[in-house]
Amino acid sequence: MAKKYKLENAVLASPTALFLLAILGFPVILSVVYGFSETSFETLRSPEFSGLKNFRDVTTDDTFWQAAWFSFRFGSITAILECTLGLALAVYLAPLIQKHGWIVAVLIIPMIVAPAMMGLMYRLVLNEFAGPIPYYLYSWLGWSPAFLSPQNVFKTVVLAETFQWTPFAFLLFLTAYQSIPQEMREAATVDGTRPWRLFWKLELPLMIPTVFVAVFIRFIDGFRVFDNIYTLVGAGPGGSTTSMSIYIYETFLRRGEIGKSMAAAILLFAAAFILLSFGQWVMRRASR
Amino acid sequence: MKRRMAPRWMVFIIAAFVMNFPVIATFATALKSPREVTRNPSLWIEAPTLENFVTVLTISDRLNVYQYLWNSLAASLIGAILPMIVAFPLAWPMVRRGYGRSILFPAIVNLRALPLIVFAIPIYMMYATVGLLDTRLGLGLILAVVNLPLTLMLLVNAIADLPQELEEAARMDGARTGRLLYRVVLPLCRPALITTFVFGFITAWNEFLFGLMLTTSDAVPMTVGASFFFATSGGGVQWGVAAAVMVIAALPPLLLGLVMYRRISGSMVAGAVKG
Repeated sequence: MAKKYKLENAVLASPTALFLLAILGFPVILSVVYGFSETSFETLRSPEFSGLKNFRDVTTDDTFWQAAWFSFRFGSITAILECTLGLALAVYLAPLIQKHGWIVAVLIIPMIVAPAMMGLMYRLVLNEFAGPIPYYLYSWLGWSPAFLSPQNVFKTVVLAETFQWTPFAFLLFLTAYQSIPQEMREAATVDGTRPWRLFWKLELPLMIPTVFVAVFIRFIDGFRVFDNIYTLVGAGPGGSTTSMSIYIYETFLRRGEIGKSMAAAILLFAAAFILLSFGQWVMRRASR
Repeated sequence: MKRRMAPRWMVFIIAAFVMNFPVIATFATALKSPREVTRNPSLWIEAPTLENFVTVLTISDRLNVYQYLWNSLAASLIGAILPMIVAFPLAWPMVRRGYGRSILFPAIVNLRALPLIVFAIPIYMMYATVGLLDTRLGLGLILAVVNLPLTLMLLVNAIADLPQELEEAARMDGARTGRLLYRVVLPLCRPALITTFVFGFITAWNEFLFGLMLTTSDAVPMTVGASFFFATSGGGVQWGVAAAVMVIAALPPLLLGLVMYRRISGSMVAGAVKG
């Protein structure tokens, strides 16, 4: 039976396959060619093979490692903050949401706004002349930090990312929390268990798979961050908010180092691939 | 078990206020006159006015909002519809015959976890050679790639939820696969198709990196156009006008998202859980 449909399946798959080949196939070849050759925007048509030179250039570039470290710290801190806040909100607000479903809509608004727009909005909000946050801090405390200074910019972008994506973690946890069968809770509460104890002994253990999924997705998303940081501060004072994506972008468009940026992109792809395979392997193991 | 709701309302209001603060502040600023913006940065609007919106919607050399909106609309429509067209015929054998479940499906689904910058540079080089740089079609095509993984997942989920009996009945009547797909399965998937479309449209509209790299003037989408407005004005940003631009840029996905928040949040969860 499987054989009978072989041709038909291939025909049904062909639109997707052809589409992906057309849009991604050629670029993949290009990345490999340019990753291993010496090119500039002037000599695009005649790349000269240079072996691993681009990769050496990247791996000996301090900025590259700073960017990798930035992305890693940014991804892990935001993932943990978002998931902690999101979990707390989901569990605490669940009884309220049961009666008033619309409050979910209000809480997911930040996710529907483009991250690039969010970055621009924070520019306005944090501006020392027109921004409401410095205004209120000045009028209440008589003092306001320089949010985008080298000392504070990391915290600022972490908070901006956290506030935008906590709703995502919240949504995952809310769904997981609501799918815990009510009988299990009732069975656990007959002897007058306190809600806090119920959470630690029953609900949290049941939501552990969701915790892993949420932290993993948020880490990957934070690691590859570009839009909101770019529109809020660009590469930041002294390059202090250069994420991996921003590093590759700047190497390519600002400095025109095509080969080097391609080599960095290939390394980033490899890192993402390894991380993804590892994460999915862990989740498969855990779900057995 | 009786639970007190008042503190929960408080927590909800604080959380909603903090997380939505930039959006609230931007709306407030957009409704202030240019004079009020410099004098009064608080959230309170003394004299609400649509002055900034009039400025934005009046075409000038500096900022042509209609062009940006049209570019975003065209590219997002391509970016949302094209993946549905190519993925629908593939989703069906994946569900009914387990076709491609071991390699093709995970490969496509994992595309969405990769950093977009990895594609952006080689795509830029390819578009430069084939003349797709700075075109709405070029932007729409790459947005379609971005949307393909989630589109495929949502369609696979939708088809898996359909009862198989209808398909069997159609087979009895001698329907061939093509007919079966477009006469029986497709109409049954309509709710899922709408969700998928809206989700893809919002994602495409909100995309920034490809717009930034692949367009320069003719096909600049709204997100990038709004950021130009900040960049070009240097020290003297007209905050009221800038806020109005952001409101206009954020409004289409916001309205769609709020109207369909149940389905949107449902697809977000579905997209995460299977990933």
